[in-house]
Amino acid sequence: MSAVEAASARNATAAVSDRGWRGGLSGLGWLVRRECLRVFKLWTQTVLAPIVSSILFILVFGLSLGARIRDFGGLDYEVFIVPGLITMAMVQAAYNNTSASVFQGRQDRYINDVLSAPMHAWQVNLGYAVGGVVRSLAIGLGLVALAIPLTGIGVEHPLVLLAAVLIGLIAFSALGTIVGIFAETFDNHTFVSNIVILPLVFLGGVFYSVVALPAPWEQVSHANPLFYLVNAVRYGFLGQGDVGIGLSLAVVAAFALPLYGWAQWLFTTGRKLKA
Amino acid sequence: MPDAPPALELRGLTKRYDDGTLALDNLDLSVPSGRFFGLLGPNGAGKTTLISAVSNLIRVTAGEVLVFGEPADTLSARRVVGLAEQDVNLDRFLTVEETLVYHGGYFGMSRADARARAAEMIDVFDLRAKARVRTPMLSGGMRRRLLLARALMHRPRLVILDEPTAGVDVELRHELWRYIRRLHSEGTTILLTTHYLEEAEELCEEIALIGGGQLVARDTAAGLRERYGAESLIEVYIKTVGAGRLASAANGSGPAAQRVV
Repeated sequence: MSAVEAASARNATAAVSDRGWRGGLSGLGWLVRRECLRVFKLWTQTVLAPIVSSILFILVFGLSLGARIRDFGGLDYEVFIVPGLITMAMVQAAYNNTSASVFQGRQDRYINDVLSAPMHAWQVNLGYAVGGVVRSLAIGLGLVALAIPLTGIGVEHPLVLLAAVLIGLIAFSALGTIVGIFAETFDNHTFVSNIVILPLVFLGGVFYSVVALPAPWEQVSHANPLFYLVNAVRYGFLGQGDVGIGLSLAVVAAFALPLYGWAQWLFTTGRKLKA
Repeated sequence: MPDAPPALELRGLTKRYDDGTLALDNLDLSVPSGRFFGLLGPNGAGKTTLISAVSNLIRVTAGEVLVFGEPADTLSARRVVGLAEQDVNLDRFLTVEETLVYHGGYFGMSRADARARAAEMIDVFDLRAKARVRTPMLSGGMRRRLLLARALMHRPRLVILDEPTAGVDVELRHELWRYIRRLHSEGTTILLTTHYLEEAEELCEEIALIGGGQLVARDTAAGLRERYGAESLIEVYIKTVGAGRLASAANGSGPAAQRVV
């Protein structure tokens, strides 16, 4: 440690100084950067793989089988399924990102570096959520870029699409954070993904219009919050949906708010994060 | 001019875990600013719980923790505490350099300052060759050095070292001692826990012995020896906090005696 003397001399005044202090907002920015860095270091798993699997859905279900499936409000089937598939890929990515990141941080205890830092609980909660949103947006943009030349889909209502996507992603990022905080094993994380989220997305009208379902399944579908998110995203892309856009956005927001609030409460109180 | 507040003040600190374990029992402790303070006690005495309370990593059951006069959970208190935990808890996705820079960022340093300070820490702790290597690829000694570098990264006024030399070789241990001593000489308050009693005797100006979540004794090493009529700190330890553990070890219930002495 030959540099000890020199470093110590430089530290002589710094040891008790406030030099470089930029307040808690800086911490939020660095946590967001850390979450994004994790996503892009693992980009083949975190971004590329979901894009490939969703494109395969479009190719197989849309382009191959689509010619035999008719009557989707005057839309080609491959166009009809694109918004739902993009929604499915994005919400799963948002959930997976935060749940895995928080769980790994807890398991290896490096989350302590964040919990002991001079950051407010809301900044930590937001930092993790933004990480999930960024990963999902990277996937969503990639899918849109590929889906446009493949299917010719356009964006009818970009602001509605943006609002629906952001609210939906915040909801699923928050859900991931909650599961990441409560999970005792990695199986807990995958259980929620496979047994809760995936069925809800599939039953939310990704591949079909729920209007076509017989009673009571159409009514049952209306109890699924994912149905409203898929509907809102579809409206943003195609300008049509099974229920009104106002109702869809309201339900998605009503789903997101308690989840985000729950995640916030966990960070504020330290429950399950701090012994 | 009023007296400077102590670096650390615990008032009636109590921690009972969810399983009912009472880790800290109405503990009062004050560590003056600038002091090199040792915290000794057997496993389960409450040392790490105490450190976690100061570092905002547990929910205290009762009592108060003040860092330089500020409640420990405030941002102003948190930014002046540097913690090197007993367990190696490095972010597996980051390189050595990123570990330091991101830590600096969490603690409010500007990017330029964090980068400059990280470069300095990397040189000080002889990690230059591994600066761009991810932390899981480091050897045990390197991880331990990186933990210490991270704790010092944001220039804390109170540095908490929870068994910092556990598992490192003699040469590195003495190098770490040199750096820790130098930090202290610059005015940094140091709170050290260790199972190496000679390390506490060598480094600490004052030592507190805790057992069963309570403060058992507190003095300089010489003062403790005198008070307990002992020739060494080990003897003091055995007479105070180690007695019960050694008795149970003698009854064949554990390795406590070997660990302590």
